[in-house]
Amino acid sequence: MKEQRIGWGQRLDKIMTPMFIAGVLFCVVAFVLSFTLAPLVLGAQVDTPALIGGQMVTNKLLLSQKIFYFHMPVAVVSMASLLFTAVYGALFLRSRKRKHDIRAKVATEIALVFVLMTMVSGELWERFEWGVWWTWEPRLTTYFILMLLVIGYFILRNAVGDPERRATYAAVFGIIAFIDVPICFLITRLVPSGVHPVVFRTDSGLAPNMLVPLLIAMLGFCCIAFALYRYRLRTELLLARTEEIKEQLELEGA
Amino acid sequence: MSGSKGVSAFKHYRILLAKDLRQEFRSKEMLSSMGIYSILVLIVFGATLAQTSAKVDIVQMSSGLIWALLIFTSLLGLNRSFAHEKEDAALEGLLLVPMDRSVIYLAKATANLLFLVVVELIVAPLFYVFFLSGSELSITLPLVVWPLLAGTAGIAGIGTLLATIAINTRGRDVLLALLFIPLAFPLLYACVSATTVAVVGGAAIDFAYVPALALAMGYDIVMLLVSWLLYDYVVSA
Repeated sequence: MKEQRIGWGQRLDKIMTPMFIAGVLFCVVAFVLSFTLAPLVLGAQVDTPALIGGQMVTNKLLLSQKIFYFHMPVAVVSMASLLFTAVYGALFLRSRKRKHDIRAKVATEIALVFVLMTMVSGELWERFEWGVWWTWEPRLTTYFILMLLVIGYFILRNAVGDPERRATYAAVFGIIAFIDVPICFLITRLVPSGVHPVVFRTDSGLAPNMLVPLLIAMLGFCCIAFALYRYRLRTELLLARTEEIKEQLELEGA
Repeated sequence: MSGSKGVSAFKHYRILLAKDLRQEFRSKEMLSSMGIYSILVLIVFGATLAQTSAKVDIVQMSSGLIWALLIFTSLLGLNRSFAHEKEDAALEGLLLVPMDRSVIYLAKATANLLFLVVVELIVAPLFYVFFLSGSELSITLPLVVWPLLAGTAGIAGIGTLLATIAINTRGRDVLLALLFIPLAFPLLYACVSATTVAVVGGAAIDFAYVPALALAMGYDIVMLLVSWLLYDYVVSA
């Protein structure tokens, strides 16, 4: 049983480098496509009708909309990582196995990286598109508190000394904090503010030539996130194993 | 954990709640500190708003202010609520009792809820006297009771779980605030909007009050259920 599980992990470890490279390639392809395939999008109103690109327009065609092809996939990946935090947290509470705690922690670390990327790209977007650095819009606000919850998760971990207790508290907090994820995801549907569009819907959402780069970027970031998760997990598991061996040696020496 | 039938679980709950209330009536530790703190926050509001009174619509702002006060005051109370359980290992003693541990959660949350309600009963009239006595309020004002109650129940519910976590950590006061405020945020948002609608009145009462209140209650139910389910793990850790 144990042999089998190690084999499974080793197989995943083998594919993680190709997966990382594939993810980067997907992201590059999506980046190129977002400039070549996807059209420019009408954005904020211009003060007076002006001649842009040989056309009289009252709306500015926004190059900054290209941020969207980065911003949204990263945000989705960050939320998916938090799902892993909650699931592994629940598994830990059931089984009390340290490996689940390590997995939950690593998933949250990946989530933090992607949450920060989302916030940075979102900030750029806000500045260029809406002309402000910050606005208390529902999606923004709920995502902001999501970031605070993820940071709080690590502060909580650092504030508890006993490993068993730390793992339990972190698992519980990870599960409660996850409640904010569906709220954040659904808030544009519940409280339409007109600022954040609902991207996934059954009626005509995105045009295919915009959807393709978006989906490729999402696939790419999923690959990158998973590869990063495996890299980090391998390190953490090896560290835990080293600790175990050290303790064993000390016991035997004593 | 098992072995306690429905009747005895309720009895445990009553005994635990009575213990917390009796302790509070004797020491008046939480109520006095929370009460005085909330009055101090009112004074701070008075100073910070002193220069704006001519321009700011205080009626529109009032429910936001009162919720700011309640959030910070509740933090103070929640921090204290487990302090005496740590003394003389009282909590360890409780854990030795063969009963469902979520009963401890329910009793503690109820006690915190009751203390917060008492503080609200002190603060709300004072707030009216200090800030709103010159303004005309909507006839829908009594409707503020429901968002206040929903918000307070949620604060007590999430707060009790987080206070149990925070009590065993380094820098517990700061940590409680750090975990509690982001988690309570959606609830706070919904409650402020429902309370504002009730205080200001007008056409918004028809379409904005019920959704906001429903959001607050939905959040309460989800949070209380999850906290109740997870409490056993937290308190035994």
